[in-house]
Amino acid sequence: MSASDDQSDVERVLAGDISAFEGIVRRWQGPLINLAYRFCRDRGRAEEMAQEAFLRAYRGLGQWRKDAVFSTWLFALATNLYRSELRRIPARTVPLDDIAEPHDTRPSDGGFEDQERDLAVRRAVGALPAKYREALILFYFHDMDVTAAALSLGLPEGTVKARLFRGREILRGKLPQLLAVPRLKEA
Amino acid sequence: MRHDEIDGILSREDEILPSSGFAASVMDAVRREAAEPAPIPFPWKRALPGLVVAGLAVVLVLVAGVMAVVQLGRASTTAQSSTFLPPVMPSIFHGGTESAAIWTAVALLVTLASVKLSMRLGSGRV
Repeated sequence: MSASDDQSDVERVLAGDISAFEGIVRRWQGPLINLAYRFCRDRGRAEEMAQEAFLRAYRGLGQWRKDAVFSTWLFALATNLYRSELRRIPARTVPLDDIAEPHDTRPSDGGFEDQERDLAVRRAVGALPAKYREALILFYFHDMDVTAAALSLGLPEGTVKARLFRGREILRGKLPQLLAVPRLKEA
Repeated sequence: MRHDEIDGILSREDEILPSSGFAASVMDAVRREAAEPAPIPFPWKRALPGLVVAGLAVVLVLVAGVMAVVQLGRASTTAQSSTFLPPVMPSIFHGGTESAAIWTAVALLVTLASVKLSMRLGSGRV
């Protein structure tokens, strides 16, 4: 994905060539849908939210100041929209205290138990208070880049770091057994 | 639970692929959006005289209200307001200076709210 491709497509769209917007959609559809999916855990809703994000981006293309990379602007716009959507219609989540522990916590060789554990952790993230959940979602979506997560959330890096720390602390407190089990493959 | 374990689990999230018609669907929506006529801007030039008149009216009401409150204040120092005020005055002025001031403030707030509502209706945001 090239920033110059984005810039040239934006300039063409602003000059009246609507078809140039398709290049932007094709380059960023995957990331925007995946980001939406991490917020709502519903594939259909993720595509609807991503479509709305693209529409808003189209309407607001003229507001993109070229001092920031296009993707930074696009992710901030999409994150803002997804957060609003989730506030309007929250995703279905299991309360944090009801997250199921794995039935058998003995060491395993991976596979099903791993999947079950990973699923429980992701459910626990979904059940966190919004400010911690959003920080964790953006942090891992941006490959653990605090700066990128902070830009997407429109928050200072220090705030994001504090929320990440607190979010992980809540997870550690609520799911102690899940990740305390020694793993054969790590032994 | 260690932080690196959480990092490990949450970093290896499965990627989902967009459905085959997603880009086409977005472009259809964009073209529909582009085909719609641009929203009509609020006619500020036409509305300006009315707004100026409304503003002056608000200022006049404010001045009249302040003057009435001041007069009532003076009158209450010389005589009881209930005997001083003519019977045609609204009953709210018989409650004294504080009551009149409250009612004046309420009237101003109602005026401000109605102006704001008119502007919102004019801009089509309601």
